[in-house]
Amino acid sequence: MNCYICQNSTEPDTTWATLLVTKTRPICEDCEQLLPTISGPSCPICMRPSPQAKKCPDCHKWSEHFTVDPLKRNISLYRYTPEMKAIISRFKYRGDYEIIHAFETAIQSTYKTHFNDQPTTIPIPLHPVRQQQRLFNQAEAIAQKLIQPYHTNILTRQDNTKQSKKSRYERITSLNPFTVTKQPPEKILLIDDIYTTGTTLRQAADLLIKHGAKSVESFTLIRS
Amino acid sequence: MHVPPLIEDMARKFSGKLLLKSELNISEQRLNYLAKHGYILGIPSIQTKFTLHKCFRCFNMKQSLFGKIPHQPKPIIYCKQCIQMGRTSTLEPLYQWTGPKPTRHYPKNPLKWRGNLTHLQQRASIQLVKTIQQNDQLLIDAVCGAGKTEMLYEGITHALQNHKRICLATPRSDVVKELAPRLKHDFPTIHLAALYGGSPEQDLNSHLVIATTHQLLRYQNSFDVMIVDEVDAFPYHHDKMLPKAVRRAMKPDSATIYLTATPRFKQKWLINTNQLPTVSIPARYHGHPLPIPSKQMLFRLTKQLEDEQLPPKITQWISSKQQTNRRFLLFVPTIALAEQLATKLDLPYVHAESPDRHHLIQQFRTQSTSALITTTILERGVTFPSIDVAVIQADHHVFDEAALIQIAGRAGRSAQDPTGDVTFFYEQTTEAINRATTYAIRKNLEAKGQSS
Repeated sequence: MNCYICQNSTEPDTTWATLLVTKTRPICEDCEQLLPTISGPSCPICMRPSPQAKKCPDCHKWSEHFTVDPLKRNISLYRYTPEMKAIISRFKYRGDYEIIHAFETAIQSTYKTHFNDQPTTIPIPLHPVRQQQRLFNQAEAIAQKLIQPYHTNILTRQDNTKQSKKSRYERITSLNPFTVTKQPPEKILLIDDIYTTGTTLRQAADLLIKHGAKSVESFTLIRS
Repeated sequence: MHVPPLIEDMARKFSGKLLLKSELNISEQRLNYLAKHGYILGIPSIQTKFTLHKCFRCFNMKQSLFGKIPHQPKPIIYCKQCIQMGRTSTLEPLYQWTGPKPTRHYPKNPLKWRGNLTHLQQRASIQLVKTIQQNDQLLIDAVCGAGKTEMLYEGITHALQNHKRICLATPRSDVVKELAPRLKHDFPTIHLAALYGGSPEQDLNSHLVIATTHQLLRYQNSFDVMIVDEVDAFPYHHDKMLPKAVRRAMKPDSATIYLTATPRFKQKWLINTNQLPTVSIPARYHGHPLPIPSKQMLFRLTKQLEDEQLPPKITQWISSKQQTNRRFLLFVPTIALAEQLATKLDLPYVHAESPDRHHLIQQFRTQSTSALITTTILERGVTFPSIDVAVIQADHHVFDEAALIQIAGRAGRSAQDPTGDVTFFYEQTTEAINRATTYAIRKNLEAKGQSS
């Protein structure tokens, strides 16, 4: 078994404890230590690190902007450290799809602890042209790791520019790139790879609420 | 025959290469047009035989290095070994230019350099020209500081005058960065491209391409003369992919020249069985002998370093250099030890992953810093005038024979200051240490024999 991140062997050193264990690990010990899980107090809505777990200024602004924030809360797994940046760029831009397998157990256990009320999962769609270049949608790759099925026919996207190529101002003021093509259910869980300013997720959430959804939450791999 | 300028332009960009669609950087319609009219040919980049996959670009056949992307109706297979250069997969072919060949104009007298070669360099240079004429193979076994680059000039000039396309390949990007400006300066009228991971330059059918051996994975049937510098260096000598890439980048009728100071077993075998013509240059260009390493065995060196102590012999060596204003390089086996010594001695350090590596090396080269701690990354291909060298833990396994010879070869490079101090600090004598010392003695003897 090779590590999905660094391709080195994940064979643990043979000790009495590992002698009889046949379980294979998706990542090696070195890479596992590099993964920066989010710990410590953070904003209850977007999971940005914040002292005494207070609501962060950005989320206050979002509440003002929409009067009621369409996104109930966001749950993320990792911080966006330089190491994580390298891993994500290999995954998304180089297109090394199998890196997602490295996060499988973490995704599943976090999902179980936070979302046990069975919401309908919707991965944030990619523009068809981009999907054709990349050959996969990174949000869908994450959604696939959840045991329950996900829906791709509720939300679609027209805008073709990359979020990561825009400035903060451009992102926040950009037009809503999504359209709703089907009556959305009441409880929705949006899935995406990275939460940066939260614009994309809120644009989708806002639209879904306007079309009749009652609550929208989000689950992202990374909070940058 | 008249070729439309657009086609000529694309021929210059694409011919002799194997490129992905993203590297071609042209629109879907244009690609379809080119393919339909036979200007460009798509080759499947992942080839599957009896359920075993092979990457056409990087020759990868290790099945664990192939990944799967879920897709309808069949999952996509992609190669993880060369994914850093853009993904090859069952849906992403490699493109080959099959249209008209691009034209190249050659200057009459490309060489501006007007130096003189030594007797030994001259001999190698004549051999080199002969090899290029006959499309043969040649190994130049020259000691560190023999002036390898200058002795290539005659051969490169000859090849250019005969309208040949040349590639100077090396496993290390530092060497590319050092060679490119020198050759640009000495061949000012030719088109030259320096290619390494992340380099800004582009090869538009240049006369001379200086590239890392990894970059040659993007080439096919492209060069008339292939010069491989430092054939024995990591990762070239360790990697089956890179020699294959070099061979594919060459035209069927072409000359191959290997340069090395420390032939490995494989090359020695070929030399000794007369399968590879060889010229040996045992003396440096300034004619002074190679510095003989002095050996300092230190009791319990490893233990002391583990306890974060530096043996007095080493501190004495460093302070004596600092008092006499000698600049020095301190080689250490691991990054951890480099960090530890850097904080203790308050000196800068570099390793393969240091972000400001290029800047620190440049500072040392321009003499604004007087000392540098380094891992084996600076063992070869870089020239600093008048420095001394010490190796701490020379008995560590990363310091093999070739590494120690190369490190010793960093000292005494300039004609003004031909002697340099080389000291190995170690706890146990290893075969590599002994061989590196006898190498210097042997080469000095050989040089004496040849000059008299």
